[in-house]
Amino acid sequence: MTDWACTFENRDDVIVGYLYDDLEPRARLAFEDHVVGCRVCRTELEDLRGVRADLAQWAPPEPARVLAFDPRPRRGNRVWAALADVPVWLQVAAALLVVGVSLRAANLQIRIEREGVTVRTGVTAPADRAPQPAEAAAARPVAEAPWRADLAALEQSLRADVQKASLQLRSDADQSRADRSDEALLRRVRALIEASEQNQRRELALRVAEIARDVQAQRTADLQRIQRTFTVLETNTAGEIVKQRQLWNNLAMRVSQQQ
Amino acid sequence: MTWTDEELVARSIGGDNDSFNELILRWERPIFALAYRTIGREEDARDVCQETFLRAFRALPGFRGQAKFSSWLYRIALNLCRDWIRRERRAQLVQAPETVDIIEMAAALEPSETVEDLVTRKDLARVVERAMANLPEEQRTAIVLKEYHGLTFQEIADLVGCPLSTVKTRLYQGLTVLRRELAKSGTS
Repeated sequence: MTDWACTFENRDDVIVGYLYDDLEPRARLAFEDHVVGCRVCRTELEDLRGVRADLAQWAPPEPARVLAFDPRPRRGNRVWAALADVPVWLQVAAALLVVGVSLRAANLQIRIEREGVTVRTGVTAPADRAPQPAEAAAARPVAEAPWRADLAALEQSLRADVQKASLQLRSDADQSRADRSDEALLRRVRALIEASEQNQRRELALRVAEIARDVQAQRTADLQRIQRTFTVLETNTAGEIVKQRQLWNNLAMRVSQQQ
Repeated sequence: MTWTDEELVARSIGGDNDSFNELILRWERPIFALAYRTIGREEDARDVCQETFLRAFRALPGFRGQAKFSSWLYRIALNLCRDWIRRERRAQLVQAPETVDIIEMAAALEPSETVEDLVTRKDLARVVERAMANLPEEQRTAIVLKEYHGLTFQEIADLVGCPLSTVKTRLYQGLTVLRRELAKSGTS
């Protein structure tokens, strides 16, 4: 790679070091002394500086925000993050719903009898079987107890609330999903429009620049043509003037000879 | 208050994600530029940049600060670029990005600069880009790191894992090839 005409020691390394201002002062001075008398090195240095100037013209495109970074692991947190957006009353309603469903699944039965309270869970005999006479007799006073109606009403009310809350929750979730989907769609459309506009602007700017360049080139060519025409005219005119002058001289000479 | 890279790294290791985001804001542009100039495609450069930060984040607990954070980041990015080049070896690297950055260039126009100058500059940038893409990977990397990122020869040697003199030789050879190519295209 080293030019055979120059034998400066470690020439390639030194040129690069000099070019990037990364030489020891003594080595720098030595090379500067050498360059004064070496045309090969001088030319090469000049050219490489030119290359560096050209390199400076190459700019990368502006990065659209490369990262919107949230490095936290998301899988586990997604449910809780979603719940954070749900109002508290809805969360309570959902909890009640879960409790209700669990109780139903466990087939919990509470009976208050004369002997005390009986709690039963799990699979039992079908509910619609005919009651045994002894059971019916024992149950009758309970069925006729005054708080029975209140309990039934409370149960009805709870069921209605839970059902309403469940419907509300579902409808809110649907709405929220639809909103988010609409919002995302809108964002995407906006981004597409923006990108399209930007492309059009770029295209337009490029076309304008190209037209300006063409016009400039045409103008230069026209000026050169005009210049050439003028030169030809001038040359022709000058020739004509010379001829006329010679003619006049001849005429003048003839007239003077005749006299 | 402005934190140093090392302080932000320490805070990130301690679980402060905002600090890591600050590091991204600080370094995403240089890393993207490095990737773009090394592999020559905007979309892929963006992917490399993203992957660089993801890998950095995952490896952050193992970062002991033996090197500067930026050097560490550059090394990750360069390794990813090398992987990309290996994968895409068959493809030519001369493909210019689709977008034309004339708007940005126009925004940076000097008042005295004419449209003609602007177009010339754009053409020159394309020629440089093409010439750089045709260089061998090692020479291109050395030029990019030195010319556009201002690393010292020693830092480049450490990054790419070769002796100091090799870095200088690669740089000299690369610049010499560019000198010839640019002269051929009539720009220098």
